[in-house]
Amino acid sequence: MPTTTAAAIGAAQRRVAGPSLARRIEANPFTWLVPVAVMLGVFYLYPILDVFRLGLTNASLVGSDERYTLVTLRAMFENPALLDILKTTFVFTIASVIGQQVFGLAIALIVMRGERRKLRGMVALRTIVLIAWVIPGIANGLIWQMLFSEAPFGAINSVLRMMHISPVAWLSDPNIAMLSAVISNVWRGTAFSMIVFYAALKAIDPTLYEAASVDGAGHLQKLRFITLPQLRAAILVNSILVTIQTLNTFDAIISLTGGGPGRATEVLSLFTFNTVFRNYDLAGGSVLSVLMLVISLVLALFYASFMPRREASE
Amino acid sequence: MTHVRMTHEAREKWGDAFTYLSAIVIAAFFLTPLAWLLSLSLRTRQEVFLGASRFIPKRPTLDNFAQILSDPTFLLYLWNGLKLSALGGLGCLLVAAPAAYAFSRFWFSGKSALMMTILAFQMISPLVILVPLYRYMARLGLLNSHFGVTMVYIAIGVPMCTWLVKSAIDNIPKSLEEAAAIDGCSRFGTFWRITLPLAAPGLASAFILIVILNWSQFLIPFLLLNKDAQLPISVAIFNFAGTSNASSTQVLAAACLVAVVPAIIAFLLLQRMIVGALTAGAVKG
Repeated sequence: MPTTTAAAIGAAQRRVAGPSLARRIEANPFTWLVPVAVMLGVFYLYPILDVFRLGLTNASLVGSDERYTLVTLRAMFENPALLDILKTTFVFTIASVIGQQVFGLAIALIVMRGERRKLRGMVALRTIVLIAWVIPGIANGLIWQMLFSEAPFGAINSVLRMMHISPVAWLSDPNIAMLSAVISNVWRGTAFSMIVFYAALKAIDPTLYEAASVDGAGHLQKLRFITLPQLRAAILVNSILVTIQTLNTFDAIISLTGGGPGRATEVLSLFTFNTVFRNYDLAGGSVLSVLMLVISLVLALFYASFMPRREASE
Repeated sequence: MTHVRMTHEAREKWGDAFTYLSAIVIAAFFLTPLAWLLSLSLRTRQEVFLGASRFIPKRPTLDNFAQILSDPTFLLYLWNGLKLSALGGLGCLLVAAPAAYAFSRFWFSGKSALMMTILAFQMISPLVILVPLYRYMARLGLLNSHFGVTMVYIAIGVPMCTWLVKSAIDNIPKSLEEAAAIDGCSRFGTFWRITLPLAAPGLASAFILIVILNWSQFLIPFLLLNKDAQLPISVAIFNFAGTSNASSTQVLAAACLVAVVPAIIAFLLLQRMIVGALTAGAVKG
């Protein structure tokens, strides 16, 4: 009898609790986050943990039995190629990041000035720059290959020949190939920096410039003492995004140079790819993946340390 | 006084001239590669070898386009690209919208830290996760399946999508939702019937942006798909470039152009929305 009463009460409670339980579930914000958490957990967190684990094994992409060892780790760091790869990655990244931001800022300033003076064609200019940004990375590499090509159909060299200037080995000279890779990457990536700076420039209080004009400041002084300090946060955030994006650049390089000539443009992401999917060295590739993560994290923290403190309201 | 204003005006005029000059140089830099691509794609094989002197072909031809567009596999690549991009975009919205709603309408401790954490996933290269995922998906039998690729697309798009949809929901007044709640509508019902329809323009721009990004996606399908008939256009043109030689450059150019034009058109049609979404995200950092 007591058990049946308890059961009855339990059932009654459940009946009463039924709708309110649903309400309570949907009133909990974390319920709403479940789909995102599952997707990120399965496709990011688990793989990342696995990358750390695999780095400590001798796993291969094709074999199945693997054991834990530090041999892969040591072999990877003793690999003389790694230092060259890191140097290449550093040059490619720093040149792209500086190039994209300086160029992006210059374009944003020109568009802003044009809009202030109500010049025509500024939206068109912004659009033209942004079009490059939606070009798929693979197509970007292939298009620039047609421009840099040393074959007769290479645009740049055939113009040079028409002007009786000796052609340049854009893709076959190791030093110039890096420059070519940077140019093609800047072409595609500048739009992002431009739009970030454009939005940030719009947010600057115009009275600052008016006050500076009253004080007799010239254009360069305004740029130096108002624009750049006001853009500081935007520049830092953008630096983080562009640096990481460039570190992760893979498709635009594989389709432009394939990492060559030799290893002149083989950046870390391409090296990782080759290690895993060409040499089937899953463990070695995992070590490199961890290295990529660590470099990204260290750089992000490095930039963030220059960040002005956010207001309490944020 | 007049003199001062005149010089100021004159200086502004010089500034305008400089602005236009720079604008032309910049536009030329950004347009030349595409113009060259178009030029090559309209040439015959003979004219391709004449280089820049035939920038405007003497005997322009559409044969290259006819050749690739009459190839059923090429159309299949385009279709696969569209299918994967769109399914990935749709899946992204489904997964991200509830989270975006929670971030917009609930207050809970750790909310901004959680949002930053989600954004941080965006920083991780797809390559890093694909290294272990490849074997993992092979074991689950998800290699060579569009389903598997779509799932990875969704995961990769989710961080950005969550932020975009959150800012779209932020812009909707709460009053309608409150009215629905008073009428006894459940929270989920309100979200589904009131919030999402009102956020439709923002959802649409997020969707288009994600679809454009998915269209450029290369690494994931390149690794996870092996069968030719399953490949999206981005992988197909890369493979085509690997097998083509100097004498088929004009066909490769046409194929590249066909691969990039849909992205450009989608972008141009929705430029205002996309730039709005990007700048909103950029300001928030």
